[in-house]
Amino acid sequence: MTPAALTPLPSTPQWEDADTFYEQLMDAHAGLSAEQSALLNARLILVLAHQIGRRDVLEACIATARLPG
Amino acid sequence: MSYRDPSHTNGYEFTQGSGYELPEYPFVTPPELRGEAPGRYPVVIVGAGITGLTLACSLARLGVAAVVLDEDNTVGVKGASSRGICYTQKSLEIFDRLGIYERMAAKGVQWSVGRTFAGEHEVYRFDLRQQGGFGLSVQPPFINIQQFYIEGFLVERIQELAESSGRVDLRWRNRLTGFEQQADHAVLTVETPAGSYTLEATHVVDATGSNSPLRRWLDVPFTGKRGDDRWCIADVRFTTRPPQERHTWIEAPFNDNRAVWQHLMADDVWRIDYQMAPDSDPAYVSREDVVRERLARQFGPDTEVEVVWVGPYAYRNECVHAMRHGRVFFMGDSAKIVSPFGARGGNTGVADADNLAWKLALVLRGRASPALLESFNDERLEAAQENVRVTSRTARFLRPADGMERLFRTAAIGLAREHAFARPLINTGRMAVANPYSRSRCVRCEPGSAAGRSTQNVALRWPDGQPGQLHDLLGWAGGDLLLLAFGPQPAAALRRLRQLGATAPVRSVQVLAPGEAAEAVEHVRDPQGHLRATCTLDGAAAPAWALIRPDGYLSATGSRIDGSLVRAVEQTLGLHEPLHANPVEVSA
Repeated sequence: MTPAALTPLPSTPQWEDADTFYEQLMDAHAGLSAEQSALLNARLILVLAHQIGRRDVLEACIATARLPG
Repeated sequence: MSYRDPSHTNGYEFTQGSGYELPEYPFVTPPELRGEAPGRYPVVIVGAGITGLTLACSLARLGVAAVVLDEDNTVGVKGASSRGICYTQKSLEIFDRLGIYERMAAKGVQWSVGRTFAGEHEVYRFDLRQQGGFGLSVQPPFINIQQFYIEGFLVERIQELAESSGRVDLRWRNRLTGFEQQADHAVLTVETPAGSYTLEATHVVDATGSNSPLRRWLDVPFTGKRGDDRWCIADVRFTTRPPQERHTWIEAPFNDNRAVWQHLMADDVWRIDYQMAPDSDPAYVSREDVVRERLARQFGPDTEVEVVWVGPYAYRNECVHAMRHGRVFFMGDSAKIVSPFGARGGNTGVADADNLAWKLALVLRGRASPALLESFNDERLEAAQENVRVTSRTARFLRPADGMERLFRTAAIGLAREHAFARPLINTGRMAVANPYSRSRCVRCEPGSAAGRSTQNVALRWPDGQPGQLHDLLGWAGGDLLLLAFGPQPAAALRRLRQLGATAPVRSVQVLAPGEAAEAVEHVRDPQGHLRATCTLDGAAAPAWALIRPDGYLSATGSRIDGSLVRAVEQTLGLHEPLHANPVEVSA
């Protein structure tokens, strides 16, 4: 699939509270080894992916994350 | 011959202590070597495995003359490492039409409960009886039975049919050694104990399996991939019986945290399939003392185990780019090879055969266009590619690459223990289904139509109230298309149906709900609405008519009996391709 065919993701921010989320994410990793952190991240991705659910949106999310940052 | 009476043994019953004894079929000197020059055969099938025999049996039923060549003289494969045990509802329906289902049901084992474990914990369980999708058919969701039983039943059925029609010739110990294609036929060179001969065929079917010589000789392009995953099967009998359920361990503590499959078959034989370390030595892992030690770790040292058969295996994915090359049709494992997860090997071979048989019969009778044969490739290549995709995903879950892939599997298993939402991520095999056809030139795919999907063999009532099945109607149609007209019809529609039956290979029947009056002589009752339901897409409006092919697939449905029905019949027979092909949705 070409990038042009991807479902567009919302470009305007839709966070209720971006700073709180970011802080909670950092706190969740505090004190974890690299291995534990990696597992937490993997679990979190799967939980979040299920919350999104839609196949086209998930595909667009993966493509967006893969773009050079 | 009885298969239920243990005192009455026969050729392919289980024999105590020495594994299986397979039947042997005699070599008969073929007519070509007896000085009779028979000329050309409409169909020659190479390979008498489950796929080739299913096709041969279908052709015998449809009255098509065919020759089957097999290099061996028995069913099963001597020394084969992995063969099918699990047969899906669709396959059971096909075998029902061929007339061997009752014997399979009597010999085989039904199951519906599946449980998946990781470590000491059960991750989840399912009961197929409580799931939608299987409920309409007369046949159960699955039967487990050793593949050679089915092959043996098919051989006997073909011989039975040969007594009435005498048209399918099974030739044992006839090995294909040469092949060439001419403009309108193929020439096959065959070696036998009585010498070599050649024969000619209009159509050739390659059902030789995963080491197809024809594919090599014709240099057929394919895509394939092999990995380092290794397994070892132990078919065993026990003093104590495990529950009649399918158990799968993703990480079995008694197998170094690798996967284990546990399945029951006929004769109280259990198939225990162990995942080995990557790149394991097959000779070592299948050594009897090593196998026994493995079994003792799982079932305890006190369980007496009788080892029936052991087979180490590796698997690969392979799929040809086209399932037809000139006069040759590729089917079963000669067209595609998949890992065993989900029973998508043998079952799709059976479906390949069922797909081609009625098409060959109609084309050879001159009732359909040769273009119909091209739809075999449209439909079964789509199925093959889908089955390769699905089984590859399972294989990747079961043998994740070290690093990130394993990490995500650990995450998924951990979540699935606590949360139902994560269970769909656990992939221990997605069981084979009747693959839908979305890009066939002979199927009228339209939004809201169930066309391209398989019907189920639902129950119905004859006009006198006696119970019947959809298969009885397909049998009545006898290899022609079956048109179901639902509910009351205007007189003009009934006239149109009669005209259609007079000019095209179509038989029509009116399907009536309770309280509806019969207008056609040929009508059946659908008291529970199952016949209508199996022709209707979930959530869509029920159609006024449905066109069912001899393989049970819907080729078109419609809301009015008018010119669109005539065009649908033509398209189904390959007579006219639609002027504007419907946009095809291809899943990524």
